[in-house]
Amino acid sequence: MPRAVRGVLITCEPAIKSIIVHLDSENHDIIIEDLDETHLFVKENMIQVLKAKLEEHLKETYRPEEPLQDSDKEY
Amino acid sequence: MPPKRKAAPASSGASKAGRTSAMSTPGPATPRSLDSSMMSDAEDDLNDPEVTEVQRQREQELGQEADEFVNGWDLAKSHLQTRPEGWSGDAATAYFGGRRDFSFLPLKPDHPNRPIWIDPNKGVIVLERFNPLSEQATDFLITVAEPKSRPTFLHEYALTTHSLYAAVSVGLDPKDIINTLDRFSKTPLPATIRKFINKCTHSYGKVKLVLQNNKYFVESVDAEMLETLLKDPIIGPLRVHSSEGITTSYAPTMGGLVIPGTKNAAGIRQAELDKASGKPVAPGAEAGNEADLYATLNDEDDDDDKTAVHSFEINDNAVEIVQKRCLELGYPILEEYDFRNDDVNANLEIDLRPNTQIRPYQEKSLSKMFGNGRAKSGIIVLPCGAGKTLVGITAACTIKKGIIVLCTSSMSVVQWRQEFLKWSNVNPDDVAIFTAESKNKFSGNTGVIVTTYSMVTNNRERSHESKKMMDFLKGREWGLMLLDEVHVVPAEVFRRVISSIKSHSKLGLTATLLREDDKISHLNFLIGPKLYEANWMELSQQGHIAKVQCAEVWCPMPTEFYDEYLRANSRMKRTLYAMNPRKFQACQYLINYHESRGDKIIVFSDELYSLKQYALKLNKVYIYGGTGQAERMQVLENFQHNPDVNTLFLSKIGDTSLDLPEATVLIQISSHFGSRRQEAQRLGRILRAKRRNDEGFNAFFYSLVSKDTQEMYYSSKRQAFLVDQGYAFKVITQLANIEKTPDLAFATAKERRELLQRTLVDNEKGGEDDVETDDLFGKPGGGRGRKKGGFGGGGVRRTAGTLGELSGGHDMAYIEQNKAANKTLKKKAKEVGQNAFFKKIAREKERNRK
Repeated sequence: MPRAVRGVLITCEPAIKSIIVHLDSENHDIIIEDLDETHLFVKENMIQVLKAKLEEHLKETYRPEEPLQDSDKEY
Repeated sequence: MPPKRKAAPASSGASKAGRTSAMSTPGPATPRSLDSSMMSDAEDDLNDPEVTEVQRQREQELGQEADEFVNGWDLAKSHLQTRPEGWSGDAATAYFGGRRDFSFLPLKPDHPNRPIWIDPNKGVIVLERFNPLSEQATDFLITVAEPKSRPTFLHEYALTTHSLYAAVSVGLDPKDIINTLDRFSKTPLPATIRKFINKCTHSYGKVKLVLQNNKYFVESVDAEMLETLLKDPIIGPLRVHSSEGITTSYAPTMGGLVIPGTKNAAGIRQAELDKASGKPVAPGAEAGNEADLYATLNDEDDDDDKTAVHSFEINDNAVEIVQKRCLELGYPILEEYDFRNDDVNANLEIDLRPNTQIRPYQEKSLSKMFGNGRAKSGIIVLPCGAGKTLVGITAACTIKKGIIVLCTSSMSVVQWRQEFLKWSNVNPDDVAIFTAESKNKFSGNTGVIVTTYSMVTNNRERSHESKKMMDFLKGREWGLMLLDEVHVVPAEVFRRVISSIKSHSKLGLTATLLREDDKISHLNFLIGPKLYEANWMELSQQGHIAKVQCAEVWCPMPTEFYDEYLRANSRMKRTLYAMNPRKFQACQYLINYHESRGDKIIVFSDELYSLKQYALKLNKVYIYGGTGQAERMQVLENFQHNPDVNTLFLSKIGDTSLDLPEATVLIQISSHFGSRRQEAQRLGRILRAKRRNDEGFNAFFYSLVSKDTQEMYYSSKRQAFLVDQGYAFKVITQLANIEKTPDLAFATAKERRELLQRTLVDNEKGGEDDVETDDLFGKPGGGRGRKKGGFGGGGVRRTAGTLGELSGGHDMAYIEQNKAANKTLKKKAKEVGQNAFFKKIAREKERNRK
């Protein structure tokens, strides 16, 4: 019996795609179909999780906006 | 008025040049500690494992104490808030939040004409470079504050305790500092700053430790302060009792002292000679008639020629205790050396050669050191290639006593000696070298000794001769200790050096006064304050160092490399982003482009594996830690003189003290994490370019970075120092026409895959030992003796396989073995090396033998 899964098409750079594939390889719960170099079809319900994970991963690559020393956190 | 901040980066590209958040601004003397496991400068530290446990413990204690003390002086920690009670700000500034809202500071009516603004909380001074008064303001700020960031239009300076300490030590009065700041400032000087200046200058520099006639004196202008010290339970008993309490004399002034090589020097030389022959004159008496000269030499110094000075004598062995105690009391002791009145130590016959003219900025830095006719200890910061050595030699020629020079490697020992002979008229026999190989003493009763830090601090078994030599060094009193590349040496080593060798004054020289750990501030206490720091941009405009265009080239990672990168461990990651084939192509493209323009190129790589791969593939010469001495010399010579050898690959052994004035282009393919110092030192390799004064000449500095990898992060970190010096990094995302390069390496996907496979396999064995000496010219025999790993040295291997594989039936292909370009050089040298004349002689010899 055919089953339907709601998904989202992602268009991104090859490098980002690599990272997503890498994230997926842990328990294969994100990607539905790997389309080509720059396109991926992923589960819709995983989008938020994926975004968070991706953010986390990119932190080590890019210099995060450093908080100003005199930021007003204490106020 | 809100503090001026640079606009937030509009695009990721602009972020490189525009990024100056408070954190990314490395104040040379106030570095923050970074992740020490990643950023450690350990490989540079001359740490000696054989130090005894007791000594280490003591050093640790000392280090901790110093830490506490250093931290205690941080302005930011003193929470100086001046916001009046009940101030609510206005609608516009409310968004800045409480701490950064400075709208309560009233602007002066003529504020557009005044160039500076001062942050009342942190002592940060922002200077408008485009203001007509900025020249004067810069001159003043250089003396009282530390430069933090100096791009084209807005400069940042910071008032720190050390900078104020330095200002006081050149004779500036706190009142004058406050008045002048107030005059330049757009707002009335905040009370906090006023308080801070008063507090620092009150205690700093008031007490001096003077070595006179081989006796230590504690000296002060303020008699009351000495009384306080004498009443102290620890210092009091240490006074030498034979001396009658507090003696009073007159403060010395710059007087007849002339720094050789300056414009005044020629006229004064005669007078100096007369003086030298006569008896030493009381400094107070001679100050009057030379006052005009003195004023021209040192204009910031107010005429205080007749200030009374009070002093009392202390015991030699009590010096350290007194120093420490004074530190605790909040009166750090300033060390000065009255070398003109020192008749115990023999004078050294040394003078600059008559034709030597030192440059204006060198003169300025030295006048800071000899500001009041005595030698102050401290650190002078000049960019690479701006003549640090000459500054050191001129200082030596001014003091004219026994000189000891400490450098980082045995090669720079040789260079220092040559420079001494080149710039001064010192007798060659008086310049001795103390290294593992040669241990000479000078012929006369005083002279110059050049040695390395490790020779002096070595605690292991020494050979008989070097032990004798060390005893000789320890037994003497030295007039000046020159510390080359002072930033590389950790505080512990300094303590050891300073405790074992007695010198009257110390001068540290460096280009990059920063470390990724926060040990730099300790130098201020061990050696002395930063006396002078040159402005890189200004020097390059004046043509003393080359103009450099900096660029960061972004190379995307091919998918297969990136996949592998994501899976790899951190070591392999580094290899992978260095071996990125796109980076390789960019490197090839840039080499081709610049070679065709007639440039000489140095390519730097920290990764040994990629260094060799690149060099072999592109058929260029290379030098790394394992290259033998003779081969290195040959390669370097060829690079300098052979028009066919235009590109040289260097590992990190070439970072410092390598003098290649031919090089005009620098390409960096891999580097040591986020080390700002390495970046600056590497840039230094092209700053001394020979052709720098040609019309429209530019040197080029490319940093190749693999996109979407950690390298991006490190790269932005590394550039922080240079950006603060005013360099702007252009980001290049696409090299035009790169795909049209003939023989472009790794153009097809298949080649890239092969490269990836090879990289993975070759590095699986753990790679070669990455240990490198910091010394380009290695230790004798060390280079050749090193185990050769990787390819080239592999022995016979036994593998299982099928016959089909051997016959080429499988996926295996024979690849062309890349030959090292170094070898062809050698071969050529053999062929060409013989002149026809010598060939003839050889033939004749041959014939005679028959």
